Amino acid sequence: MTWVTWRQHRGEALGGLALIGALALVLLWLSGPMRFAFSTDGLAGCVAASARGGGCLTRIQSFMSQFGFTFNQLLLTLILIPGLIGVIVGAPLLGREFEQGTWRMAWSQTVPRTRWLVTKLALVTGGLVVLGAAMTAVFTWYRSPMDQLTGHLTWAAFDFEGVVLTAYLLCAFAFAVLAGLLIRRSVSAMVAAFIPWLVIRGMVDFGLRPHFLRPLTSRLPRSASINFGPNMVPPMTGHLGDNVLGVTTTAVNQLVSYQPADWFWRLQFTEAGLYLVLTAAAIGTAVWLLHRRAA
Amino acid sequence: MTPALQADRLGKRYSQAWALREATFEVPAGAVVGLVGPNGAGKSTLLQMTIGLLEPTEGRVAVFGATSRANRADTLGRVSYVAQDHPLYRDFSVGDMFRFGRHMNPRWDQALAQQRMKVLGIPLNRKIKRLSGGQQAQVALAMALAKRAPLLVLDEPVASLDPVARVEFMREVMAAVADTGLTVVIASHVVSELERICDHVIVLTEGRMQLAGQVDELVGCHWLLTGPRTGARAGFPGMVVHRADSDRHSTVLIRTHPGRPALPDWQTQPVGFEELVLAYLQRPAATTASDPDRAQRLPGSVTKAVSR
Amino acid sequence: MFQFRLDPASGVPPYLQLVHQVRQSLLLGYLREGDRLPTVKDLASDLALNPNTVVKAYRQLEHEGLAGGRPGQGTFITGTLSPATPDTHKALRGSLERWLREADEAGLSEEAVTALVAVVRYELRKEGVV
Repeated sequence: MTWVTWRQHRGEALGGLALIGALALVLLWLSGPMRFAFSTDGLAGCVAASARGGGCLTRIQSFMSQFGFTFNQLLLTLILIPGLIGVIVGAPLLGREFEQGTWRMAWSQTVPRTRWLVTKLALVTGGLVVLGAAMTAVFTWYRSPMDQLTGHLTWAAFDFEGVVLTAYLLCAFAFAVLAGLLIRRSVSAMVAAFIPWLVIRGMVDFGLRPHFLRPLTSRLPRSASINFGPNMVPPMTGHLGDNVLGVTTTAVNQLVSYQPADWFWRLQFTEAGLYLVLTAAAIGTAVWLLHRRAA
Repeated sequence: MTPALQADRLGKRYSQAWALREATFEVPAGAVVGLVGPNGAGKSTLLQMTIGLLEPTEGRVAVFGATSRANRADTLGRVSYVAQDHPLYRDFSVGDMFRFGRHMNPRWDQALAQQRMKVLGIPLNRKIKRLSGGQQAQVALAMALAKRAPLLVLDEPVASLDPVARVEFMREVMAAVADTGLTVVIASHVVSELERICDHVIVLTEGRMQLAGQVDELVGCHWLLTGPRTGARAGFPGMVVHRADSDRHSTVLIRTHPGRPALPDWQTQPVGFEELVLAYLQRPAATTASDPDRAQRLPGSVTKAVSR
Repeated sequence: MFQFRLDPASGVPPYLQLVHQVRQSLLLGYLREGDRLPTVKDLASDLALNPNTVVKAYRQLEHEGLAGGRPGQGTFITGTLSPATPDTHKALRGSLERWLREADEAGLSEEAVTALVAVVRYELRKEGVV
């Protein structure tokens, strides 16, 4: 079954390789001016020295205004990539067998269809994990200068680093596999899987992520101006990269709720875990349904 | 001798509708069986339960004595199958398809598959989508034969092919039967082509069996009676299969015991295979049960195989 | 090698067609004693015909004393069919003339006679007589 899986997904595997290469080249080219400016302005050293106060605030602000916006716009489109790859790989796995009628040939060989599916899923999942890790590495490298200014908790970093990107990829893949089984058409299954994936992504990013763990609270004087989002320089809540979620004003001061920067991995694993549970549920359902009946 | 194929009150229901009901028959080893019926009669359903792609709702079907269970390697390994319109992976080469077969089947005769391609002039590195329909069917057949299973099931594999390709395909099947004593079940709705290939026949309409048995035996016990128009409904020996009345004469097809019946009022003729099958295809599905006692004692009766 | 052909539209069972062809060829001299018939596999493959049918035809020929199998070598023609002798011909001609006169007197047209011959021959063929 290893050769069979490879032969059927050969195109996708090579496509994935090409994608990584292209992505790396594009991001390399795009990050050129940004990295140049970063080093010329000496922003790295600046940030380290002024962890607690003023200093190169103006330089940082001008850098951010020059590169920050376009950066995030680009990443906004790239956010879709794990979903697209996942559904493109997942939908035809079962969808195309039904579309072309080859299921009657494939599942009448001596390998039972359940074993066929489980083996295939295991192998393709392995490939997707490698792809996800490679993409994460490329994006992390791309973001590294910015991350020194904003920390890793902002969506532009969080969604692309650590383990979540691979989890998004696997989840989209799993949805698409199940959709392919239920709808029996590749392209329709891609759409039917992508939409829920996107909706869940949005809901988790904006609705759930702030609530994964109970945010910490910091007291700040009433006079202080509070910016939501990642703490930059100077950091309000104590550390660069803390993610400010909300503020309540009391008689005496302001209570700022935030996620500290060192919660990065905890939040990553929680979110990845959520997506992996969805992945397992979708895959498990698909395997169970196929086991029960072929057609 | 264990029959190659044996069904006992086999049935399959999808939601509310029965695709196949009360199918009971026996096929001896080495036979070539034609499974005939219009589209939707239940042929594919019956075959898919035989090969392990579908689980029966009731009854059982056994291949060489072993009950077929869906999704089990031992059932799947016992039967070779070419599905309707010979599906293959279009982007694979012929060699890739054989490699696929080798990986998916523990018992695989690669030499046989390659030999067949050589004889037919089909190169191993050609992509499936570049082959003609007839060549694709031959590749699918080669894969089925290379599996070296004792039973070969063909589900209308040549329905979409031109006549030449059809004959070429059947030639190879007959040669394989002559070589190895293979048992073959071939489903088709084209009756005329089956006479020269089949020595057994099963007729299905609307999920019910109408006829099952050895072709020679069946032909020997059916007679076509022609005579002046009569309203008589009874008085025929055996069972009336089909009758047609026009203004001046009546034609009655009867099934009785072997041997020409002595009927002075009627001109009695033997019935050809095709005419016989067509007559049974036209019977409404419910009539099988209408003559149960009489039908029991006749050869080829569908209820005969049920031993209680 | 002797070439067989099958006519699917004739209404005659395939094995009988094979037997008839051998008989006819013997009568016409196309087949002679000692000639080898195709193997079961070759014939089944050439005609896309069930091998059991071929076996049945060869058995029928053996039964009629026209052919026999030599183990390991194939099936060979072993007998002959003598065409009708001149005397038989004369007798048959005579009865045919009488019959045609009768048919004419009864008012049968030429077409009707031809139709009748075809029908009776068809029925006899189906029973394996002709």
